[in-house]
Amino acid sequence: MSHPALKPPLGTRLRSELFGSPGNSALTLVLLAALGSAAFGLLHWGLVQARWAVVRANSTLFAVGRYPLDQQWRLWLLTALLAAAAGLAWGLLRSHPRRDRGGELWPRNDRIAVVLLAATALAVPWWLRLEPLIQARWWGITALLLLVRWAAGHWGQRLPARLLALLPLLWPLLYLVGMLLINGGVGLLPVPPGDWGGLLLTLIAASFAILLCFPLGVLLALGRRSDLPLLRWGSVLYIEFIRGAPLITLLFLGQNMIGFLLPGGLAPDRVWRAAWVLTFFAAAYLAEAVRAGLVAIPPGQLEAARSLGLTVPQALRTVVLPQALRVALPTMVGQFISLLQDTTMLSLVGLMELMGTARTVMANPAYLGRNAEVYLTLAVLFWCCCAALGLGSRALERRLDPNPAS
Amino acid sequence: MSSALHPPTAHRMIEASGVHKWYPNGFHALRGASLSVHRGEVVVIMGPSGSGKSTFIRTFNALEDFQQGTITVDGIALSNDLRQIDAIRREVGMVFQQFNLFPHLTVLENLTLAPVLVRRRDRAEVETQARALLQRVNIAEQADKFPGQLSGGQQQRVAIARSLCMEPKILLFDEPTSALDPEMVREVLEVMQDLARDEGMTMVVVTHEVRFAREVAHRVVLMDHGEVVEEAPPELFFTNPAHQRTRAFLDQIL
Ligand SMILES: Nc1ncnc2c1ncn2[C@@H]1O[C@H](COP(=O)(O)OP(=O)(O)OP(=O)(O)O)[C@@H](O)[C@H]1O
Ligand SMILES: [Mg+2]
Repeated sequence: MSHPALKPPLGTRLRSELFGSPGNSALTLVLLAALGSAAFGLLHWGLVQARWAVVRANSTLFAVGRYPLDQQWRLWLLTALLAAAAGLAWGLLRSHPRRDRGGELWPRNDRIAVVLLAATALAVPWWLRLEPLIQARWWGITALLLLVRWAAGHWGQRLPARLLALLPLLWPLLYLVGMLLINGGVGLLPVPPGDWGGLLLTLIAASFAILLCFPLGVLLALGRRSDLPLLRWGSVLYIEFIRGAPLITLLFLGQNMIGFLLPGGLAPDRVWRAAWVLTFFAAAYLAEAVRAGLVAIPPGQLEAARSLGLTVPQALRTVVLPQALRVALPTMVGQFISLLQDTTMLSLVGLMELMGTARTVMANPAYLGRNAEVYLTLAVLFWCCCAALGLGSRALERRLDPNPAS
Repeated sequence: MSSALHPPTAHRMIEASGVHKWYPNGFHALRGASLSVHRGEVVVIMGPSGSGKSTFIRTFNALEDFQQGTITVDGIALSNDLRQIDAIRREVGMVFQQFNLFPHLTVLENLTLAPVLVRRRDRAEVETQARALLQRVNIAEQADKFPGQLSGGQQQRVAIARSLCMEPKILLFDEPTSALDPEMVREVLEVMQDLARDEGMTMVVVTHEVRFAREVAHRVVLMDHGEVVEEAPPELFFTNPAHQRTRAFLDQIL
């Protein structure tokens, strides 16, 4: 590895790489021209030709589907809670004592993120022509996130260690509260899953599957390496069966079979059927990622833990799994990102998540020929969600790295 | 030299007799190995590579099972009863050739993990004890580092301290200095020597360090082909062994 100081400056390097020889120069010019014209075309289309009314008029539909208007305050409340939790996690990440490995309270990337967040919160609601009251809500939620981020960054370290250790439990708790708010019951008006739609349904299905496929995948991975033949072969059979079948067939199978298998009252709603199928599907892939992590941990780790008197479950929990999951984390996040994208398949079994909503909107004669606008919006939405997942995982990865110097 | 050693007591800490072990692939690794170790005794096991030394001491804390013979550790007979195995592992510490520290935990957390989890002791109290132990193995200032930031010799001393933190009655060492650079061997051997002399710790040590065996061991044992071939006090073992196989082995290492 060369020392960074020995590298020539970026400008010099670029010049020698792009214009080193006549052939290179020609190629560079051709590529630049092609890129330039493509960018210009896109910009021209987006600003002049595209008719964004299709997105503006249907923004609520894309966001939450047919969720009843008078109950939408529950979703706003949930969004605010999530923003606060995200701000808390972000701030604590920076205030943690292990920050001493080169981190600061407001590193440059965080400052960029703050600017981007604020700009998005101002620009997107304005561009969508949302009502002023709703625009103001988005500003408020963004302000809440940044405020909590700031407070947690400054005072997070002073929280007692015991409390800090309990904080990750906040996420499953928040999840339960969120599902309660969305679903209703316990004093709130029930909103059946059939009324959920758009981004809301996409996120519900994806987060449900991510949350549940994780423990399931870990158990399957452990089962695959177990000494008990029945457990081992059961896990192998499951993993290989699921990985051998296309998701779409499993989704249809799930919609049709569960009706036969369970008596009417017990069979889950169509949305939950699909969410369970996604979960079982993702678990098989996750199990393989976790297994790769387990293989990477030397057997001496388990032996050392066992010889200190830890039981096998204790050793797995405190010694083997933390290391294996750290190794598997990048692959797992890759799986989660594909899972998020796989939710678009739910539209094929008739569910109104983002893709399904898009299809009904495009079928409306009023928006004939506006497919490009809709698909671009969808792509940007998915890209934002995946980028958030990727950023979160990278931060987590750095936090968990025991040897930052190496 | 050996006058500085504690005299071992009559109490038998490990009693292994006629132990046979076949690995799952059918390899007959232990062929009737027998050994008894008294409380406060330091026994050094030597022998050619592949003679079954590691396999033998790993049966003492049930890291390996065995098919024939009996092993009794501090009065508890090793069987397949999992609860008894857990009970024995709490009393028997083990130090490995590759240290096997937990790389995702700090040095201090490596020490406190088992006492808190297994013995259910108070964390603050265990931390005090752990810092004292690190002091004793001369690495008190490394307590909050991660294992990957330490040298091999320091890591092995942490591993010894980690075992001691469980307050074991017996310590097993499997070639504790073989993975170390020569200049770090001594710092580890000195810690082990102090343990034997000051604490009267019962220790079974697989090693090829002849000087350590001469100065610290009460008895030296030669293993070959899965059997204990010779057992003798060090002065006899190294100068006048009874068996031809021991002589052949000593010719190679001395
Ligand atoms: N898991 C295993 N499966 C099959 N054979 C094994 C296994 N582990 C060890 N053996 C064999 O058992 C024999 C004894 O191994 P062991 O590791 O106990 O020897 P050792 O005396 O400690 O040797 P060394 O000095 O090289 O560490 C060797 O021939 C080895 O190849
Ligand atoms: Mg060995």
